[in-house]
This record gives sequence, C-alpha cells and structure tokens, in this order.
Amino acid sequence: MNASAWQMLFDGAWTTLWISAVSIAIGVVAGLIIALIRLARIPVIDQILVLYISLARATPLVTLALFIFLSAPTLGFGLDRSVAGILALTINTTAFNAEIWRSGFRNFSRDQREAAMATGMTPWITFRRIMLPQMIITSLPGLINEMSFLIKGSPAIAVIGVVDLTRVTNRISAVTYEPLPPILVACALYMVIIGALVWLQRLAERRANRLAT
Amino acid sequence: MPDDTAVSIHQLSKSFDDVEVLRDVSLEVAPGEVVTILGASGSGKSTLLRCINWLEQPDRGSIHIAGQRIGVDDAGKRMNARALARVRAQTGMVFQSFNLWPHLNVLHNITEAPVHVMGKSKGEAQTHARELLDKVGLSDKAQAYPGTLSGGQKQRVAIARALAMQPEVMLFDEPTSALDPELVGEVLTVIKDLSAEGYTMVIVTHEMSFARAVSDQVVFLDKGLIIEKAAPATFFDTPSTQRVRDFLKNHH
Repeated sequence: MNASAWQMLFDGAWTTLWISAVSIAIGVVAGLIIALIRLARIPVIDQILVLYISLARATPLVTLALFIFLSAPTLGFGLDRSVAGILALTINTTAFNAEIWRSGFRNFSRDQREAAMATGMTPWITFRRIMLPQMIITSLPGLINEMSFLIKGSPAIAVIGVVDLTRVTNRISAVTYEPLPPILVACALYMVIIGALVWLQRLAERRANRLAT
Repeated sequence: MPDDTAVSIHQLSKSFDDVEVLRDVSLEVAPGEVVTILGASGSGKSTLLRCINWLEQPDRGSIHIAGQRIGVDDAGKRMNARALARVRAQTGMVFQSFNLWPHLNVLHNITEAPVHVMGKSKGEAQTHARELLDKVGLSDKAQAYPGTLSGGQKQRVAIARALAMQPEVMLFDEPTSALDPELVGEVLTVIKDLSAEGYTMVIVTHEMSFARAVSDQVVFLDKGLIIEKAAPATFFDTPSTQRVRDFLKNHH
C-alpha cells in the first residue's frame, strides 16, 4: 500500500467517524425526547411513536438508507449522500435509544422521586436535577452498546455511495489488486474506535456501581 | 378554613381497591404542636401522613397547610403540578428509608431544593445548610456522599434536607424503623431537639416512650378510623378504649 492508499483509508475512517458521531449525538438526544413524550402517554402520538420504534428497529439499515436516498427525489427534494446516510443511521439509532432511556425512567427509584416532590420540586426540576444526572450514568452502558452497534452497522450507508471505512478498501484494492492489506487496516481502525467506546463504557459502569451503593 | 392551624385535615377518606384505609379522618395541628400517629401496621397511619403532602391522593375530604388547600385549587379542580409543588414546599418530609439522592453530596442534598425551588442563592443556601448540619450533628460530613454514611447519619441528613425549606410542618414517616437499634437514639434525639425549638411536627412512629416524651397530642388509628385522640399522659396511662389498651400492652 502506498501513501495515497493510506490517505484514502484515513479519509474513509474519518467519514465513518463523523457520520456516526453526528447520528449518535442526534440519536441520543432525540431518543430521550421520545422517551419523555412517551411518558406523557398522549393518545395517537404515543401510538405513532410505538409504530415508529417498531418499524425503525425492524428495518435493515441498508434497506432504510436506500429507501431514504431513493424516495427523497420523489418527494421533491434531493438529498446529499452524507445527509441521507446520517438520516438513516439516526432514524435507526434513535429508536433503540428511546427504548434504553425509557427503561431508565421505568427503573428510576420511586423513593427518590417522592423525596424530590416532597421538597416542592416540580416534575421538570425533579427530572433535570435528580433523575437525568443519574439516568445518564445508569443508561450509559446501554447507550454505548448501541453506539458500537451503530458504528459496526454504518458500512450500510456505502450502498448509497458514501465512501466510508469499509467501502474505501474496495476502491484501494481495485487499483492495487491486493484486497487484504486495506481490509486488515480497516479492521484495525474499527477496533480502535470500538475499543475507545468499550473503555468509556467500563468507566461509566464503575460510576454506575458507585451510585448503586 | 381556619388560618391559624398548621395542618387541618377534614373528613378524609381513602381506599386502595376495595379496602378503606382512611375513614372520615379529621385532625387539626396547631403551629408548634407535635402530633404522633400511632396504630398497628395497616391501620392507615402512613397513608394519612402521605396524604398531607399529597403523595397519596385522598378520595374525599380536604387538607389545608397553613390555611392553603393542597391538591385541589380554588375552582375545585385538581391542582396542576406547579401549584401542587408550591404547596408541597410548605411541608417537609422524612421517609423511613431516608431517600437521599445518591449523586449529590450531603451539602448538595440539602441545598438542592432551596436553590432550585425557592430560588435562594447558592451561598445563602450553603450557609443555611451548614447551620442545619451543625444542628443535626454532622458538620464534618458536608462533602460526604450518602453511600458512605450510616443509616442514622443518612436520616439526620434527610431531616436537615427537609428543614432547609423552612416548612410549616415536618412530616416523619416511621423515621427510625429502618435503623439498627443502636442508631435509633441519635435520630430521636434530633427530633426531640426540634420539638423543643417549636417546630410543628406530625410523626408516625412505633417508639412508644419517644411518642410519650415528644407529643402534645397522640392520635390512634385503627382500621382507618381515629379511635383515640388525647394528650400523651392520658393516652398512655388511662386510655379509654380496649383496643388501645391491647395495643399498648403489646408494645411495652
């Protein structure tokens, strides 16, 4: 592999990283908002959200990415490949994150909530000051798990032409006729990214254990 | 409704499914008064206490805190969360299992509500919190996290947390029932000190000698009914019902 092959690999890794990061950032917050809305159990809206979550969790990422990319022009607007990719990843991860946050709400100590209400905190202050700080820590292992699933599933967006870390190996081997070296490097780069997440997860679990005592 | 009562409970009834846990309970607590609620387990005493700050919603009847109705607004409708929180802030509650917030240290457990509910400045809230920690004998634990404290220490922090809102009335829900026997004394001492300082308190407890020492009024609940309401000397020495005589015999 020559210098330009390495350059292409790092570009691919960067594409995977930033597209995943944007999807994760939106997905974690959107998932929390959906979980909050579902707590209110508003008729119709609740059913719509349940339907969304079931559909998004049941649709393969490749299919979803293709569907978004191909259906956008039909609806009258073209989508940039990266934007379509981000949209597909976000729709997918948000659904999973919503369920993770929801179980965080369900499992939150009723005793602590009552103590907050007894001091005169409104439900919003209780959520922001008492529940959320603890829920972030207790939900983090699940959220990070989902993040690593998303990154490992992200090569799906190659189907709409985004040149990510997996796709770029194809391009390199098309020139060099040596498919093995670039794919090996790609594997190593994925491992570095996932490894960083696992490290973060272990840190979060240690914090979570401290809260439990 | 009389404005000069700290707590006024009028004909309160509450059922869980088919079981009537409170039946037409009425009770007045004057400012500075200490009322203990006694009764066998399942008699409705915790439910009565939890109705006072609307952690349980009664089916019928009304409750006023310092003249202000809780749970139901002037138009007779259910209060919204914000209005309910404002009335709740007038009460302080101490729970059986402490219910401290584990992610906050002792000082922040105490200042959280004054800062975010009353809108006190952090500095002012912390000064007050340190005074309260001093009062409950834990001035050296301000930076400690709840997980590192003993049960008795946790409960004393919980008392300071409730006091920090300067409530009209303090509600104690079996504050020593979850404690190891050797830790009960330190918590009861703090509560006795508060009564001496003139705090208004409603206390659900199983500690008979404590109830006798601290109360102005003892209320006995049986199957959701108040069957005896008397000064402690009368209640413990010359109870008027057989039910109370049996109860006291079993608790001595």
